[in-house]
Amino acid sequence: MWAYAARRVIIGLLLLLTLSFVTFVLFFAAPVDQAKYACGKICNEDQIAVTEKALGYDKPVHEQWGGFIKGIAVGRDFPVDPELRAAAPDIVTHCAAPCFGYSHNNAKTVNELVAAAAPTSMSLAMVAVVMWLAGGVTLGILAAVTKGTILDRGIVGLTLIAYAFPTFFIGVFFLKYVVIKWEVLPYPKYVTIEDAGVMAWFTNLLLPGFTLALVFLASYVRMTRAFVLESMGEDYIRTATAKGLAARKVLFKHGLRAALTPLVTMTGLDFATLLGGAIITESVFAYPGLGLLTVQSSNAWDLPTIIGVVVLAGGFVVVANIVVDIAYAFIDPRVRLG
Amino acid sequence: MGMKLKRVAAAGAATVLGLTLAACGGGSSDDGGGSGNNADAVKGGTLRYLQHFPFESSDPQRIYYGVQLGNWRRVLYRGLLAFPMSEDPEVATTPVPDLATDTGTASEGGKVWSFTLKDGVKWEDGSDITCEDVQYGTSRVFANDVIIGGPNYTLSYVDVEDYPGPYKATPEQQAAFEDAVSCDGKTITFRFNKPWADFPQAVAGMMMTDPYKKSFDEGDRSKWKVLSNGPYKIESGTWDKNKGATLVRNPEYDPATDDPETLRLALPDTIEWTIDPSDTAGELFNDRLIQDTGDDQYAITTARVAPPQMPKIVGPVEDRYQNVLSPYNSYLVPNAKRITDVKVREALAVALNLNDYVKALGGEAMGEPGETIVNPSVSGAQDNPAFANDNDNDGDPEAAKALLQEAGVKLPYPIKLGYQKSPTTDKAMAIIKEGWDAAGFKVELEGLSDTYYDVIAQPDKDMDVMWAGWGADWPSMMTVLPPLFDSRPNISSTTCGNDYGCYQSEEFEALVDEAANSDNTEDQIVALQEADKVLGETYAYIPLEITKFNWLHGSKVTGFTTTPASNSYPEIGLIGVAD
Repeated sequence: MWAYAARRVIIGLLLLLTLSFVTFVLFFAAPVDQAKYACGKICNEDQIAVTEKALGYDKPVHEQWGGFIKGIAVGRDFPVDPELRAAAPDIVTHCAAPCFGYSHNNAKTVNELVAAAAPTSMSLAMVAVVMWLAGGVTLGILAAVTKGTILDRGIVGLTLIAYAFPTFFIGVFFLKYVVIKWEVLPYPKYVTIEDAGVMAWFTNLLLPGFTLALVFLASYVRMTRAFVLESMGEDYIRTATAKGLAARKVLFKHGLRAALTPLVTMTGLDFATLLGGAIITESVFAYPGLGLLTVQSSNAWDLPTIIGVVVLAGGFVVVANIVVDIAYAFIDPRVRLG
Repeated sequence: MGMKLKRVAAAGAATVLGLTLAACGGGSSDDGGGSGNNADAVKGGTLRYLQHFPFESSDPQRIYYGVQLGNWRRVLYRGLLAFPMSEDPEVATTPVPDLATDTGTASEGGKVWSFTLKDGVKWEDGSDITCEDVQYGTSRVFANDVIIGGPNYTLSYVDVEDYPGPYKATPEQQAAFEDAVSCDGKTITFRFNKPWADFPQAVAGMMMTDPYKKSFDEGDRSKWKVLSNGPYKIESGTWDKNKGATLVRNPEYDPATDDPETLRLALPDTIEWTIDPSDTAGELFNDRLIQDTGDDQYAITTARVAPPQMPKIVGPVEDRYQNVLSPYNSYLVPNAKRITDVKVREALAVALNLNDYVKALGGEAMGEPGETIVNPSVSGAQDNPAFANDNDNDGDPEAAKALLQEAGVKLPYPIKLGYQKSPTTDKAMAIIKEGWDAAGFKVELEGLSDTYYDVIAQPDKDMDVMWAGWGADWPSMMTVLPPLFDSRPNISSTTCGNDYGCYQSEEFEALVDEAANSDNTEDQIVALQEADKVLGETYAYIPLEITKFNWLHGSKVTGFTTTPASNSYPEIGLIGVAD
């Protein structure tokens, strides 16, 4: 079992290494002079060369990637130019391991940026998960127990319609009408629990959380409906019913337990993906999470931040998969033997 | 970044950020008096500033967005000189003293400039602003490896060689810089390697020579810290890139050292400056201003009204609306390497239907046809005869076809037209294609996205004509014509720089040299007006439009207007809120 777990962890680490290297290669493959972009519009070639050196872009890609890996392992000092660090120790920023780099664009270490953005993404993901689970599972069960009725078709149809609209559209619609025109809710802006309290934190997350949850809601309704219908057709359910158990007890005690197990796995993976940032929702609502950070760093050709966020988001998914794989291996020995 | 955003602005895109000075218009009725109610203007209250993009920095030596330069000069960073808050372009582009006692003394044919600091000017921490602070601020621009980005014109003027900035300089290098930019008591003297006739305009419009307190400097990590010397300070001391900040009164600011009527009224007690970097923020801000409820009644915005929102600008909303000329022009650049015959380039200009082009951009509220690449707000701007004469801006495909036949080229003449892609520019470029096709060209459109300017800077590109946009850094033609058409600083083996057409002209460059060596702005203007004529005669560019800005504000905002000094953005120095 331990060997299996170790194998999964090693494969996960290799995946993250590959991910970071591919991101480096893709970044430099773009037909954009990143140093010129950073330097500004009236820089001559000498000034661009100085900027290139300051950003570390003058080195070969593999060397830059090596520096990134070194930073993860033992930390790094910035600026990257050792001569500059020696001449001006007052402006040196130490980034302790695991160091994801330093963003000149933001004048912060990527670790600081991620630490500041992660709670926003996490808050949004948490509220959205609760919403889509509560809504999706409830409506899915309702659709299953009313199979073939107008209610069933209505639930499935309406959630599919919601699913068909892009998040971007739904978010802007809510802002334009629910917030600005009808003034049902105040204009949402992310606040922390420490600054504004739980209630303000939650109410400000309602709209973006619901927008994000709508994307997942339809699939959870359909999955729940299908799982419940499948499990309610099992022999043991028939047996329970034959023994005279009340229908509600059969459904909630026996049917749902089996039906919801795969949903838990699905939720875990979806939640892990969202921890890496809900790019569209955060962009529409200007929630300063990892998704917005990704968009801004891409727009600004900010390589250290792009790498940091990509590796982090990839890390969430890899870790979630490892946990699921190992959990399955515990449950089913055939997995680890195979 | 500044360049990219300036170009975006010229494209008429929603995310407009500026770097330059521009002529102001009036309100939608051209009243020139602003749409806010000045009679209600009182000191106090809270102004809400809604901004739809993040700034690049709050470090004065790195600031390059026109809206930030214009606004922050009024509220946080005073300079040696500043531009007045006048709606008259003549007045507004003539620098006046701010931290300095006068507008500077030039000597040695414009190669040496001296300024003396006023008494009593202070930082927000209560310490005096010294000559050494100005010297240190100027030196930071040279550290391209620490202070990355921002305007760096001083690097090519200050008479010092191989100075790497204050962080890495050897004692000898530092001493050489301090000889070139020297202090004598409160007097700072700049020694340049060539005349700089428009230096006062550069000082007022940019922050390259603004003071910076050495003990406050943490290199790159100073990027978001603010040590104010203006009427406000940032409550937290740090600007939040994605959230903005609250500006409160700076108790160390002494209006007696200032000229508030000319430079900054500083009416509101507090300015809640909110950043919303979402793609939809601009449109939503204007939706809120149209709705005009609650705190939004006290709000202004950096976001232009989008064309789809224009039908809502009626009734009382129209009273809160202004449509003004911006500092940005867009233009087409023929690739001089591929279209060598001037007649062919002329045919392109003659066939161009600018009226329909402007309509495709959203109509007269979004832009007006240009007759030169030089924005009207720039000193000495005048129509270029090549484009202004006999020009109803409807295009004349027949006359263009005659020119092509005169040139003896095979028809249809293939043209690949490159542009920065967006739904609006797709429509506008289709108009250009239609006119050119009718004249005997066969046009292929190539829209590119983020990489556009890098692609068109390449010397071996396969495009025949490129769209581009520009705005002056300060109201001098020296920041328009040489950066765009002087081959010497632009063209190398790997790039054509900002000279996208890879244009080279000895006649033009001789006139640029004449302007650069002038010791006064009058002679400089004359030489550059001639230089623009040369560009017109050779069709080095074809003007498209002067972009217009559309502003809304809340009903309880007073004194709302734009000025050339505010780069046609809201002039925050005049704006207040009703009691």
